[in-house]
Amino acid sequence: MATVTERLEERRNWWQGLSASPQVTSLIILAVVLAGFSIANPNFLSPLNISNMMAFLPELGIMALAMTLLLTAGEFDLSVGAVFALGPVIVMLLAQQAGIDIGFALLVGLAVCIAIGAVNGVIVTKIGISSFLVTLSMLLIVRGTALYVTQGFPLKSWNEPGIFVSLLAGSFQLGPFKLYVSLYWFIGLTLIAAYILNWSKLGNWISAIGSNRNAAIARGVPADAVKIGLFIAASVLSGLAGMISAFRISAASPVAGTGYELEVIAMVVVGGTALTGGYGTILGTVVGAFMLRAIRNGIVLIGVPGLAFNIFVGALILVMLVLHAMLSKRGARR
Amino acid sequence: MSVEVLRLEGIRKSFGSVKALKSASMTLREGEVVALLGDNGAGKSTLIKAISGVHPADGGAIYVRGEKATIRSARDAIELGIETIHQDTSLAPDLSIARNLFLGREPVKLPFLGVFAPIDFPLLRQAASTLLKRVGISKKLDADAAVNTLSGGERQSIAISRAMQFAAKVIILDEPTNNLGVEETHGVLRFVKEMRAAGHTVLFITHNIHHVFQVADRIIVMRRGEVVAEQTVGDTDLLSVEALIMGVDAATLAEQAKVH
Repeated sequence: MATVTERLEERRNWWQGLSASPQVTSLIILAVVLAGFSIANPNFLSPLNISNMMAFLPELGIMALAMTLLLTAGEFDLSVGAVFALGPVIVMLLAQQAGIDIGFALLVGLAVCIAIGAVNGVIVTKIGISSFLVTLSMLLIVRGTALYVTQGFPLKSWNEPGIFVSLLAGSFQLGPFKLYVSLYWFIGLTLIAAYILNWSKLGNWISAIGSNRNAAIARGVPADAVKIGLFIAASVLSGLAGMISAFRISAASPVAGTGYELEVIAMVVVGGTALTGGYGTILGTVVGAFMLRAIRNGIVLIGVPGLAFNIFVGALILVMLVLHAMLSKRGARR
Repeated sequence: MSVEVLRLEGIRKSFGSVKALKSASMTLREGEVVALLGDNGAGKSTLIKAISGVHPADGGAIYVRGEKATIRSARDAIELGIETIHQDTSLAPDLSIARNLFLGREPVKLPFLGVFAPIDFPLLRQAASTLLKRVGISKKLDADAAVNTLSGGERQSIAISRAMQFAAKVIILDEPTNNLGVEETHGVLRFVKEMRAAGHTVLFITHNIHHVFQVADRIIVMRRGEVVAEQTVGDTDLLSVEALIMGVDAATLAEQAKVH
């Protein structure tokens, strides 16, 4: 008799442990969202629509990966959407108007991103201003720069094929799906980010810094250096995502990526990463990225009027966050 | 008299115009428990932070086993064999016990990868459970459990066992019994005795003078940024120690106690 109750207890604990894990919660919610949309409009799962979603997903997803690591360390970056615009704008300006080799132009663009991330990181860690304020100011500076150097106009399209264009925005046919190589970038970077966070020494430090910065420092963890590195990673990956996007649509716009910072943070948090730091999940972020893209896409397909669009996106995110909080609370209180 | 382990000479530290430490000197010997006492603002915490590298000292000299040492960061202190258990801030609550025990010196495979090297999880878990067993807290605690599922006393035990595991010469405890229940407090005091038995030198900061008389060999009293007294526990009593902390005459204090 005792063994039966024990076994039942074990099974219940197992289930509670599982449902308490934020990734699983998000995965279940994602399945529900996908099922709901495909019932409401069968075209949701058509090859054309899936290809469409898969073109957008990697660009925001790549930014979300770096944001996950940054949030886990207890900081966040509001300037990523602006960097998403400035990176390709610099590349295109150099390549088109200064006639510089595209490969070198890409390097300069990434170097600018590194500099932006480094400035963010150094001010946050060494001067001790909250990352909200620092990166909010940086958002204005970077977006303003992009607007000023382009005089507000999108740059001419770049249609010269070449190794870099194929590397960043080449496309290929997989069965009925038209996919972009950016998907490979996303998969590769996801694996790297998951490895770093879960298995590497650095990942242990990132979580520890977000969980209790003083404790990490007292153990000799170089907390400031780690955070600066993560700010740089967030900037560089945003610039890279911007370049991928610009090459895909053959245009660099100074207003590209407006609002992406919040969309990306929403993806990360919906996936289960703690906004307050200390706990992060890459799998959750991938699920969150899928979820937000699917919601944006599905809402249009089921015929929600264009102007009401954001109401639904916001409401759905809120519902998911509430579900998350309720499920994880139930799981945590044993 | 046993071997000198840590000697501080004229340690100074200011924060802006505030001189938190004017000139603090003391000597710690092998295998002794020294209680560091003083009222709020006496400079105890500042001194501990200087020794542990969290807020390096502005001046003065530190000798470890007779050799002059430089402590500019927490890593320096740890490498010199000085482990500090800070008040409430020693562990990362979201991380597992095993990850906390080895935070900052994780066992890795492929060490040439630097910070990107993969943690050797089988070794980490094994070492963690060996350690938990050695310090006698293996029965309930799972090395993979997150620290935020533990009680305050269990957390202190984890922090203390982490300090013991790296065979630290000096273990500094900054108010280790704060916010602990009676039973947990006794657990921590038992740990202090075990640390001494294992040959560690313990510097114990506390406000609770009763604990001092239970575990300490010597008492060092600080007042206004300076060491004002050093006494052997057997040669003093509670009232004299309290008088030293407050900077008044013991007889006066006894007189006041009668009035109230």
